[in-house]
Amino acid sequence: MKNIHAFARLSLATLALGTSLAAQSADFDFAGQLVHHKDVVQFDFSLATAGTVSIWTDSWQSGLNFDPQLALFDGSHALQTVFADGGDSVSPATAGYFDDGQTFAPLAAGHYRLTLSAYSNDPVGPNLAQGFSHDGAAPIALADWNQPGYDINANDQKGGVWRVHLSGVEQAAVVPEPASVLMMLAGLLGVVAVARRRK
Amino acid sequence: MGRPSQLKPAITGSNRRDFFKRSGATTVAVAVAAQLLPLAANAAAASTVFQHGVASGDPLNDRVILWTRVTPTAIKSSIAVSYVVATDPALTQVVLRGTTKTNPGRDNTVKVDALGLRANTTYYYQFGAEGTLSPVGRTKTLPVGPTSSLRMAVVSCSNHAYGYFNAYGRIAQRADLDLVMHLGDYIYEYAAGQYGTARTPEPAHEIVSLSDYRQRHAQYKRDVDSQAMHRQHPLVAIWDDHETANNSNKTGAENHQSATEGDWATRVANALQAFYEWMPVRPVDATNLRKNNRCYAYGDLADLIMLEQRVNGRSPQLTTSTHATPFGPGFNQTDPGYGDASRTLLGADQEVWLTERLRSTPARWKMLGQGVMFAQLKGVAAANAAGGGTFLNSDQWDGYQPARNRIYEVLKGDATHAPVSNVVVLTGDIHSAWAADLTQDPNNSNTATGGYNPATGEGSRAVEFVGTSVSSPGVDSDTSGQIAGGLRFFNPHFKYINLTKRGYMLLDVNRDRAVCEWWHLDTALSPSTVETFATAFAVGFGTNHLVPAVQTTPRANPPMLAP
Repeated sequence: MKNIHAFARLSLATLALGTSLAAQSADFDFAGQLVHHKDVVQFDFSLATAGTVSIWTDSWQSGLNFDPQLALFDGSHALQTVFADGGDSVSPATAGYFDDGQTFAPLAAGHYRLTLSAYSNDPVGPNLAQGFSHDGAAPIALADWNQPGYDINANDQKGGVWRVHLSGVEQAAVVPEPASVLMMLAGLLGVVAVARRRK
Repeated sequence: MGRPSQLKPAITGSNRRDFFKRSGATTVAVAVAAQLLPLAANAAAASTVFQHGVASGDPLNDRVILWTRVTPTAIKSSIAVSYVVATDPALTQVVLRGTTKTNPGRDNTVKVDALGLRANTTYYYQFGAEGTLSPVGRTKTLPVGPTSSLRMAVVSCSNHAYGYFNAYGRIAQRADLDLVMHLGDYIYEYAAGQYGTARTPEPAHEIVSLSDYRQRHAQYKRDVDSQAMHRQHPLVAIWDDHETANNSNKTGAENHQSATEGDWATRVANALQAFYEWMPVRPVDATNLRKNNRCYAYGDLADLIMLEQRVNGRSPQLTTSTHATPFGPGFNQTDPGYGDASRTLLGADQEVWLTERLRSTPARWKMLGQGVMFAQLKGVAAANAAGGGTFLNSDQWDGYQPARNRIYEVLKGDATHAPVSNVVVLTGDIHSAWAADLTQDPNNSNTATGGYNPATGEGSRAVEFVGTSVSSPGVDSDTSGQIAGGLRFFNPHFKYINLTKRGYMLLDVNRDRAVCEWWHLDTALSPSTVETFATAFAVGFGTNHLVPAVQTTPRANPPMLAP
């Protein structure tokens, strides 16, 4: 599980939350930068009632960026589905051949976790805790990595930008990586310490 | 080489029937293979999904390009593809498994660089997609270090419209080859009836757009003999002119009319995108697909130095072929442009690259894989001091004399560089078979003044083997050899000329000599398996000139062919 959160260099500053969290069906847009081939970004989202939900990427950009791989888990982190491209069928105007995408009509009410990795860094088992196929590998910078399925003739898919869109969900947020949580915790402790000294 | 002035009558009747009989035989062969090989369980589906076969190419000592094309039953944005590489034909000793994918943006072609392989090793490979498995292919990596033997077939000018790829079929049966070298004109761009009527090209019009070039490549890849050759041997291929358009150069081509066919750069981009999609070729520079010169170190025995001579650097051809010769109009050394040192066949960067490689390589032999004839070819003979005579073909190196002289200067050496010996030039393009000593002044018999002695070979700096075409026409009317004899009379550096036969060259190279055998098919106008050994010439190590040779012995116990 440790490696699932190995997106240490994910820049949270680049995350763009399209809409505020709201207790009603809404659209959420996230973007960021993957650095290594084994990085995984995770998102939690929920919906109170069953409804049509679309999830897609549009960051592949004809190979300008890496080929994204989405996987959907339920609230107990049981694997529901590994996306097999299809982004361009969900969002023909913006997504390309290797973007991921799927429309769930409907998706049952509940909590879900979505993961984004670089193809073919797939979940290795039916539960998220089992990790991803590249977890045991030494990290390779995407810029130096010949991703499976890259176009040899174009030497493409070397960029790390990703964009994920969720439509029809009620809450959605990036799951902070453990390192970020620790840093936040350390920051809070620092604030507490300063406050104590001031006292 | 240009299109003929007269079109042959359409081939009908038995050829078409033979073709269909042949196609049926192939289906049977696939079905038998399926019984022998449990992995090829769904041959019928495979023949649809993988109807363009499998191929490999550009081997290095640790990797090789594996290629196929997936034809899905319905249009898909993305197709997942698996592949497996093993050391046995039944694919039980697997050394590599992987997944990849393709999409319509690549015309559903699949290209994998299989890494981590052992040097000088035969491998078998197979793709899977859409629930079916491809035919099994065979390939081989290059050796490293001390190497004693290279055996390869050399082909060029495979014109689907002009006939059948019987030469490919024979090459496919030779299990002892290390690789096949294709020196270009792998496809032809013409419309139906323009250059060959044995088979109808797809599309029927001259190919200009990306879609056009893709369709033409796809048709060629469906040929049964082409598939057989690709399935058994790795290919090292360069393009010549017809992969774009006849007599192409950096800025245009004889067979490109901008007024009706658009911008030349766009057409080249279309042609090269389709070429890289459909050929098992590893790009040299993804940011400039026109750059295609590359070198393969075959252990310490030979460098295979592959040249790009069309669209990256070549200056436009001379247009002064107005001087009469017994063989048609030609051009002279006094013509405008002939002595222009800024005109180039390779471009400045490639000339530097070639020069450095020739001077620095530790390889025993330097084999130049290139498109157009390096040897001089004259219709009127004269020593350079007497004007040099009249050259026949401005599209070959004769039309770029200063550039060719720069190569000769490298071979001869200078005060700071040692001479370069043991260069063997391999050439396609002209649909006929030639063997040449290479000299700058072939009609000057005084070797003391830079001439050449045709009896001894003295004065020759290197040798050239020119392979005939797989199917494109030569001067097929020269059955008496009269024209070939006349050419040899004016050009004493040619030791062999045959203008009438289709076939291929077989190169057998060891540390002491390089032998070239010419193998001829009885016909290309109908499917045939009849081939004959025509002749052989050799160059001994350190001699730089040709001598007659005998047929070489096939290797004993070669690796099994792919099923």
